[in-house]
Amino acid sequence: MAGVPATDNDDRRPAALVIEFKNVGKIYKSLLGNSVKAVEEFSLLVAEGEILGIAGPNGAGKTTLIAMMLGYLRPTTGTVEIKGLPARQYVERNGIGYLSELIAINPKWRADTALVRYATLAGLSYSEIPQRVNYVVDLLGLAEHRDKKVKALSKGNLQRLGLAQALLRDEQILVLDEPTHGLDPVWTQRFRDIVQELRRPDRTILIASHNLDELQRLADRVAIIDRGRLQRLVSTGYEHAAPAATRFRVTLASGQDLIRAAFPDAEDAGRGEYDVTVQSIQELNTALADLIGRGALVASVVPQRSVLEQQFREAVGESQ
Amino acid sequence: MSRWSLARYSLWQARDFAIDRGIAILLIGFLWGYAFILPLRITMALQKTDQASPGWIFTLQIASAIVSVAVLIAVNGIVSTDRKMGYYRFLFSKPVNPILYYIQVFFVYMAGVMACMFVLSRILQTILPTFSIVNYLLYTALIYVAMGGIGFFLSVATRYDWLSLAAVWLGARILRTTWGPKNDWRSKAVELLPPVHKLDEVANSLIGTGTAHASDVLWLLGYGALFFALGLVILRRGSLAD
Repeated sequence: MAGVPATDNDDRRPAALVIEFKNVGKIYKSLLGNSVKAVEEFSLLVAEGEILGIAGPNGAGKTTLIAMMLGYLRPTTGTVEIKGLPARQYVERNGIGYLSELIAINPKWRADTALVRYATLAGLSYSEIPQRVNYVVDLLGLAEHRDKKVKALSKGNLQRLGLAQALLRDEQILVLDEPTHGLDPVWTQRFRDIVQELRRPDRTILIASHNLDELQRLADRVAIIDRGRLQRLVSTGYEHAAPAATRFRVTLASGQDLIRAAFPDAEDAGRGEYDVTVQSIQELNTALADLIGRGALVASVVPQRSVLEQQFREAVGESQ
Repeated sequence: MSRWSLARYSLWQARDFAIDRGIAILLIGFLWGYAFILPLRITMALQKTDQASPGWIFTLQIASAIVSVAVLIAVNGIVSTDRKMGYYRFLFSKPVNPILYYIQVFFVYMAGVMACMFVLSRILQTILPTFSIVNYLLYTALIYVAMGGIGFFLSVATRYDWLSLAAVWLGARILRTTWGPKNDWRSKAVELLPPVHKLDEVANSLIGTGTAHASDVLWLLGYGALFFALGLVILRRGSLAD
């Protein structure tokens, strides 16, 4: 049963700081002198053990932020630090598990040799490499594709290969840019399970995605960015009361005639489904308890629009 | 840890060289040799004592040109391909210093070019016993540093490094021929261009006799090394992303 996700424009300071964006800005300049501000005055702290989502429309600056975090791009203003080190210096010393939005692996390489190459660069020993490669191949269901050339892989398999190389080493920081892009529903769910398994108190995970539902499920907080600016920082936890009215779709297996006794404003959506509006998670639970107490059989309760989605629409709408 | 793993990765870089560039260099070198030198050998009866003959000079020029082409093939896209194609994203998310990575690539490819030139000169030696493999490899190393250093710089600085290197090489030759003899600021300005004019002279003396003017060798080496270092500075101070 879904609860009411809490929202706050969270400004809590994490206990153990891992990643720090300090007033970061990035301006792209063309040879003709035209300039585009990709990121502006972006400040954010990411804690150890946290899964942070980054959401934003196309061109919002998500990938630029990640490129600066990996040291691939230099910020025009501000700094990006990881564990107190400049980002690039941290990556060169420790490495980061990174899945890029565009999977760029030499198409002439074979899938398994690509993994061996990356494992070699990642610093795995000769004895660890076959074990670890086999592990990620099995984890991501690539066994039947491991002998194929990269150019022969489908979009979904290529995406899985990209994720496999990110998981070769036991990294403390994982950065996943549009990780389920191109995956079928089975592998999308499998990916979510993998991310949950990867959650560890000493590991920090960043996930950039258009898929708000995915971020709602996986992330602790979501940074909503638009036009290069941090618009909102939304907590996805369910532990707090909802601050505003939220609509749910309640599906009843039986006792449809009892719905209005518990939810007087319920709107019939047909086939035993009702749209209800509540002001808080307490109100939802009280009314559901009342409904069940009267003998109704509740099949599901699903938020019609997650708080994250509401926040996203508001934030992106406001910035435009 | 990082440097050791990078050193181990040199085997993969050598493999990449062999497959992507080495075979092409060997084929082109062999075909040029077969097309130009073998007929010369037959028609002019080029022998051990013929080092002053036009046929010998022509052979040296062909051998020198093969080195230039080999270096062009070797350094083409040495950095820019990773950036254009986005390969840098996964490579450099690992604990790897890109500067060391590309220094290693440069020298692994140098070893590859030397190996190719060894094979080609060994073949050439079978028809021209007087041809010195050692001298040829010395010349190859010199030209790799001189021309490859500039190529490396262009590969860091531009997307179209092969074209740029060819344009710089050809442009320098043309400008030197046009302005070099004049006794004004232009003749001094062309002195700053890549020292391509020294190549023929150095090729003739180094491949032919194993000796060359120290100043010419230093000028070629210094020029290439300077641009190689400049490329590394740009790589360090600029962005890896294209």
